[in-house]
Amino acid sequence: MSVLEFDSVTKTYGEKKALDSLTFTLGENKITGLIGRNGAGKTTMLKIAAGFMSESSGEVRVFGKHPFNNLTVSANLIMIDNDMNLPAALSLEELLEAAANFYPNWDMKLARNLFDYFSLHPKQTHAGLSKGMKNTFNAIIGLAARCPLTIFDEPTNGMDAGVRKDFYRALLKDYIANPRTIIISSHHLNEVEDILEDILLLKDGKQFLHMPVEELREYAVVVSGKEEAVNSWLRGHEVFHKSEVSFGRTFAVIRNDLSDEQIAAAMKMSLEFSTISNEDLCLYLTSQEKGGIDDVFNKG
Amino acid sequence: MMYLTKVSLWDVVKKQFRFKLKSFRGMFTSLMILQVMALLFSLSGEGGGGGGTDMFSYDMKLYSGNIITAFMMIWALISAIVVTTQAYRFDDYTFVANRLSSHLANILFLGWASIIGGITTVLASQSLKLSVFFLKDREFVESQPLTVLQMAEGLAATILYLFLFTAIGYLLGMLVQRNKIFMVIIPGFLFGSLFLNVLLASESTLVIDIGQLFVRETSFLLFTVKVLLTSALAYAISAWISNSLEVRK
Repeated sequence: MSVLEFDSVTKTYGEKKALDSLTFTLGENKITGLIGRNGAGKTTMLKIAAGFMSESSGEVRVFGKHPFNNLTVSANLIMIDNDMNLPAALSLEELLEAAANFYPNWDMKLARNLFDYFSLHPKQTHAGLSKGMKNTFNAIIGLAARCPLTIFDEPTNGMDAGVRKDFYRALLKDYIANPRTIIISSHHLNEVEDILEDILLLKDGKQFLHMPVEELREYAVVVSGKEEAVNSWLRGHEVFHKSEVSFGRTFAVIRNDLSDEQIAAAMKMSLEFSTISNEDLCLYLTSQEKGGIDDVFNKG
Repeated sequence: MMYLTKVSLWDVVKKQFRFKLKSFRGMFTSLMILQVMALLFSLSGEGGGGGGTDMFSYDMKLYSGNIITAFMMIWALISAIVVTTQAYRFDDYTFVANRLSSHLANILFLGWASIIGGITTVLASQSLKLSVFFLKDREFVESQPLTVLQMAEGLAATILYLFLFTAIGYLLGMLVQRNKIFMVIIPGFLFGSLFLNVLLASESTLVIDIGQLFVRETSFLLFTVKVLLTSALAYAISAWISNSLEVRK
């Protein structure tokens, strides 16, 4: 059974299409990373999935139901994001108790242990926390709620490096003990990559890639060498990105579907192959076809 | 295997209501402050008179709990408006909620607040009586004796009035949430109507007329029916208006 299903979903804000016939399906008990540039539609997609907003057209299914304003979906899903509203009148301790009251799978022991570990104070209020601490507290709620569908939208914003690492580790451990479907959107693929199974890459409100992380690692390769050599060899290849380095050398990111002859030809022209990190690859894949930031300055 | 939690609407409403009892507790602090203020205002008396001859003179003063009740009505109105603001509405969706459960929990909470407001208003009026007895150095202090039934009716009427005001506040709040233009229209309408009333020295303006519908009612039963129907209508319209708002941003 699919937990989350988008079928050519479009969401428009005025003239702008935030989602453009987005179609994908997420299976049960997987951790999926949602990657994309600013404005790619990540948050819009998640809010529609969480039932906070309704789609302009298309069909959304969460647990087989339309999520918007749906009580069953709300009870089985939690979305942790930076604009999470928590009443200012309650202390952190009371907030944990309130959450425990709402979510049947709530694990108070885990919540309290994480709470102590991250040195939060029970009598503090949510409004009095720093940005990083706020997000740490929100993340604790997200983990302890143990909802069949758990959504984290940029959960580590403002957290320091140590807390980020600890959070992802806690997430992984709890996921192994209690498998459920988790979506994490993040700008820092390097950090989350290790715990992800699938990657969903959005670009301009469309699905660009949806594949296991392992496959993404094999998806592309970097070829570099003298500019003329690279250019002549590249003909007929799918090029994701190309740029000049210096001293007449060029590197290009291409689809990793090379035949042995092509590799041999490249060797002859003394081109070099190297791998590329998933984060960089995603950056190149989603960059606008306008050249890089350098072009902005080179326009004169 | 994934097990989905089945929830019933009523179950969620009860949980949200309990949550709101805690998270809206600031309202009861403002209730206390307002009642103390109203008590102080009331102590200066609402009216009076005096007279005398060569031989003697007298003066009298009238004290009543009207100011306390009026303050509580304003409190009920404002509290309900506050509940409709974005921050309060979005609180619900952090946990389990949909629009209907959220409205029902709000109505339950505001009903509960009306009851607390009503009881404390009646008690505050009694404190006013006691304060006048003990603080004011007067030869004669006369208080209107009330039967238990009259007291009970007074209490029920206060609660009903407060509930009516929460319903009106909820509706006004939702209108403002729907379109900010109402933030100008509603006070304009209200104050305009009051000024017109003073200016023309007549009683026939819309707001006053609507008020008369309740104030002039002599049958308690009919009054109850009128209040409950009006409140239900106001809440229903609010719920309908909220359908065009986003659930949460």
